[in-house]
Amino acid sequence: MSSPGARGRPLSPNIQIYRPQLTSVLSIANRITGVILSAFAVLMVVWLIAAASGPQPFSTVQRSIGSLFGQILMLGFTFSFFMHLCGGIRHLIWDTGHGFELRSIYASGWAVVVASILLTALTWGVSIWMGVG
Amino acid sequence: MMGKEKRLPLIIDSSDQLPSATILKRFPLPRNFGVAPDSRIEEGQVWKAPAGASRTKAFTIYRYDPDSGDNPTLDIFEVDLDDCGPMVLGALIWIKNKVDPTLTFRRSCREGVCGSCAMNIDGTNWLACTREIAETDEAGRIYPLSNMRIVKDLVPDLTHVFAQYAAMEPWLHSKTPAPENERLQSPEERSELDGYYECILCFCCTSGCPSHWWNGDRFLGPAALLQAYRWLADTRDEATGQRLDDLEDPFRLYRCHTILNCTRTCPKGGTPARRSPRSRK
Amino acid sequence: MRKVPTPTPLNHALALGSSRKGAGEWWAERLSAIALIPLTIWFAASVIALTGSDHAAFVAWLKTPFATICMILLLIALFHHTALGLQVIIEDYVHSGAKFAAIIATRLGCFALAVAGIVATLRIPFAG
Repeated sequence: MSSPGARGRPLSPNIQIYRPQLTSVLSIANRITGVILSAFAVLMVVWLIAAASGPQPFSTVQRSIGSLFGQILMLGFTFSFFMHLCGGIRHLIWDTGHGFELRSIYASGWAVVVASILLTALTWGVSIWMGVG
Repeated sequence: MMGKEKRLPLIIDSSDQLPSATILKRFPLPRNFGVAPDSRIEEGQVWKAPAGASRTKAFTIYRYDPDSGDNPTLDIFEVDLDDCGPMVLGALIWIKNKVDPTLTFRRSCREGVCGSCAMNIDGTNWLACTREIAETDEAGRIYPLSNMRIVKDLVPDLTHVFAQYAAMEPWLHSKTPAPENERLQSPEERSELDGYYECILCFCCTSGCPSHWWNGDRFLGPAALLQAYRWLADTRDEATGQRLDDLEDPFRLYRCHTILNCTRTCPKGGTPARRSPRSRK
Repeated sequence: MRKVPTPTPLNHALALGSSRKGAGEWWAERLSAIALIPLTIWFAASVIALTGSDHAAFVAWLKTPFATICMILLLIALFHHTALGLQVIIEDYVHSGAKFAAIIATRLGCFALAVAGIVATLRIPFAG
């Protein structure tokens, strides 16, 4: 971003000093979870291909998902999914032109955080209950 | 969602609320992360308070002297609170008058109207004249506006952001011959400009916008986009179609990712992000 | 012949002017996002319901026309949304020539993955 005559002038710090706020933190969180979900989209295709290939490859994939490491990944995936889902809905509401007052921005922001945690817990609760029952 | 009477630290009602509730004061990155060699900040000197000062407070201030050929530094100034005004701008003026006359910053109205003294105070952009010293962190941190080419100390080169503003042609476009008297608006039509006409061009928003940090040469940034919307919303303007066509670009307009740092930092309580030219199609 | 330009600040800000596009991609990202809300919730609910199931139960589920259709719609919307989202991220942070290579790889990769997923899904009711 050099403008004419400005060559040689130092650039003042930006990300290095700017205070992390709910606004910017949720924005970058939406990005990071989006990238994580992209990786899981690849895994989803692997899962489908394994299922189409027969019971043997499918059970191999299922076993990896069921392992401790697989379960930790799935927990991260679940949280990323709900964070991106809730954050995405927040963005869609903004796209209608609503919710731009600072108070709404912060209320919806914290709502996204709380909802993501609750929905992740709920999902795992149901999943474990289904597995046991 | 929560009680309205009491100001909750987690919910910010207006941009003048202090950012004290953030968990981190800055992102956990090395100080000079991704910074070009000649922009890296080095340690500066400490300027002690005058002997006899009983109430002092330290400020860490970004310094850059174009004539020295050295990198920017962080100087620490101890300010005598009994000898200076109550605002951050007062502390800067005190330093310039009493300690180091070479400290350089812009200021004019000292009452939040002119937008000259916009700078980064404790990690967010604000006007030095409307932020109290008492509201700053211990060792208040003062940097110039973020992501700007620095002329000297706290004076950023605003050429590019003003050019982006000028590119919005911020004046009335009309093909209809000028009427005998004023061009009239109803009170409702006029109220469409509320939240947009107040901009004082301090560039706190554009300088605080991460998308403008990464793509500032092509993305117009919140200040210019707010101005664009101000003219789109004006019923007297006849260039709406042309203005929209000129915005329609993946970078110029659509690099806005609704991060909303702009609204959080606007010293005039404006809402730079809320512009709806997007919904036209 | 083009005059040798003397770049003024305004010249720099106006640069090559507006490309007069961008709304299309913006819409596509929103449209795929809206489609993904019900589709991903359906998928998540199905996966939870399938917890601990074997291959036979999985095949029986995906074989139903409703599940096959939903899965294919999900794959299309998901990889369309992924490609658009990743492209914006690359454009934001990568400013070298690697930008184009990364965007091309992302676009083609997403397309290939969507096709692979759809073929795998279709093999279950039709070939399995």
